[in-house]
Amino acid sequence: MRMRLKLKTVFVMYFMVSLLGLIYALMQLGQRCDCRDHGMSKDQQISHLRTELQKLQEHIKTSELKKTDVPKIYVITPTYARLVQKAELTRLTLTFLHVPQLHWIVVEDAPQPTPLVTDFLAASGLTYTHLHKLTPKDRKLQEGDPSWLKPRGAEQRNEGLRWLREMGAAAEGKEAAALEEAVVYFADDDNTYSLQLFEEMRYTYRVSVWPVGLVGGMKFERPVVEDGKVVRFHTGWRPNRPFAMDMAGFAVSLRSVMTNPEARFDGDAQMGFLESSFLQNLVTMDDLEPKADLCTKVLVWHTRTEKPKMKREDALQKQGLGSDPDVEV
Amino acid sequence: MPKRRDFLALVLIVVPWTLLLTLWHQRAGNPLLPVPKVNRTGVSKAHQRNFRLHEPCIIKNKHITEVTQMKYVHSRSPPWSDALPTLHVITPTYRRPVQKAELTRLTNTLLHVHNLHWLVVEDAAERTALVSRLLENTGLNYTHLYVETPQNLKVLKKPRNARIPRGTMQRNLALRWLRENINPSSGHKGVVYFADDDNTYSLELFEEMRWTRKASVWPVAFVGGLRYESPKINSQGKVFGWRTVFDPRRPFAIDMAGFAVNLQLIFSKPQAYFKLKGVKGGYQESSFLQDLITLSDLEPKASNCTKVLVWHTRTERPLLVNEGKKGFTNASVEV
Repeated sequence: MRMRLKLKTVFVMYFMVSLLGLIYALMQLGQRCDCRDHGMSKDQQISHLRTELQKLQEHIKTSELKKTDVPKIYVITPTYARLVQKAELTRLTLTFLHVPQLHWIVVEDAPQPTPLVTDFLAASGLTYTHLHKLTPKDRKLQEGDPSWLKPRGAEQRNEGLRWLREMGAAAEGKEAAALEEAVVYFADDDNTYSLQLFEEMRYTYRVSVWPVGLVGGMKFERPVVEDGKVVRFHTGWRPNRPFAMDMAGFAVSLRSVMTNPEARFDGDAQMGFLESSFLQNLVTMDDLEPKADLCTKVLVWHTRTEKPKMKREDALQKQGLGSDPDVEV
Repeated sequence: MPKRRDFLALVLIVVPWTLLLTLWHQRAGNPLLPVPKVNRTGVSKAHQRNFRLHEPCIIKNKHITEVTQMKYVHSRSPPWSDALPTLHVITPTYRRPVQKAELTRLTNTLLHVHNLHWLVVEDAAERTALVSRLLENTGLNYTHLYVETPQNLKVLKKPRNARIPRGTMQRNLALRWLRENINPSSGHKGVVYFADDDNTYSLELFEEMRWTRKASVWPVAFVGGLRYESPKINSQGKVFGWRTVFDPRRPFAIDMAGFAVNLQLIFSKPQAYFKLKGVKGGYQESSFLQDLITLSDLEPKASNCTKVLVWHTRTERPLLVNEGKKGFTNASVEV
């Protein structure tokens, strides 16, 4: 039996088949590969996806915030226990996590650190310092007092300043040099901060200022700038205060804080004069550095969170049927 | 001589084809060549789209290039991962003094979330410059919609059931957008969540809801006059009731922030929308969910509904007493 098959035909046939196969493969190049049906069970897939998610999250954390060549911002936040505390700290954290070189100093108005804040900060992913300082009873707002009756947070901010001064005095060499450029900002836990704000305040020589939204009974308060200098404050309430602005409207260089060891907030100051009690020891109006496009943009808002209505909870508590206190809110 | 040649030819034919056939047989379950995806949704990377609903919206198989136009490098959203289901977060918003602040801090939260598609629906007659600019500057993957609730149906003086609860038309518009713009058979995996702009969300919440198969639920703080409301879970891990004081007999006694729905479920029930009128207070969520799912099919999250991962915070209305009639502050400064 003789086969009439020529070798040449065989080779040509193979060549055509390979060519067709190559063309087909090239056509598939731009498409997505459905690699999911590799025989992995659903659970294996889920855990595989979860680990991928974690890896991505780690990548984010490490890549962006590695910037070490910018001045550090020390943010001092006084906080106190109330229902919305954890929520406020949560959304504050989620904002701060975007800011490179931020060191959060949280000062609780408490006789000792609370578990809620301790655990929260540990899980936050931020660089932080956890302090506490109890406001003396006579300076504390009582239930039913209007919020403006007594200045709040003075003792806690002073505690933050004390820690900074201590840390600054103990620093040496490169650390001390870095602190020369650092900035201090007082951020209350219920305000709203844009990310741009932190970049504006980062380069402060003495004290920098900017507008604050939704404060002083107005859409915004701001320093009025003429020829690059602050000449007065645009506010609807007592504009003749030495520094008629809100706590959220200025930042102070750490250098200024260190070179003026006596500068602190006066807890007994008259309503609205808390900021002035601190700033007047540091700077004159003339030396203020206007930021936010010469104080024409609002980058921070003095929002306040409503107290949640608990009447049903209270009624249940009286019957002994209150919600599980072990569930942290 | 010819015999050897023929033999060679035979070998050359038989051997490779046997190899090929055995390989093919082995990979029968796992195709060697990739399978093309038909009509992949245009939701990818950091793209931005403005959408008018009356324009025909057919998303073809586009590869939208990544848009990185951020002013501040650190506020870029996380890279897209094709392995994760997309979270479609629907936020109705309306103009008031704290609007920009609320959207800003919500943005700061959402920038941490992977594979997020933010649908912002304004209660307005057209897209406002404030929201448009804000969304552009975030770098988030967003869709900007708008629909105005008719004025006469907003008025508080009307009896409760003649009013449309706030945000309803906006949420429905977003649902309609999803149904019209994403091809159900494209293999796109998504979860829909309704996030009001004044609540507070933890990152853990988004990761819990991401793996929703049908609809999932969890506790919400500060609603119903309680520290938190939550679903009741039995020993089999199924929802059998609601731990609330306010009308626990509602079909779904849960707040808008307390549930998420798988996108495929929404596609499979095209009639499911939030009811516009005649909705008793607190029944809005039920008007939507009862057409979608039964209680026993709900998936409890947040450690079997024992952890609080979302807070129904409300922002105080700022007292703008010093603005006076003519407005004390410069109107051209955006707040």
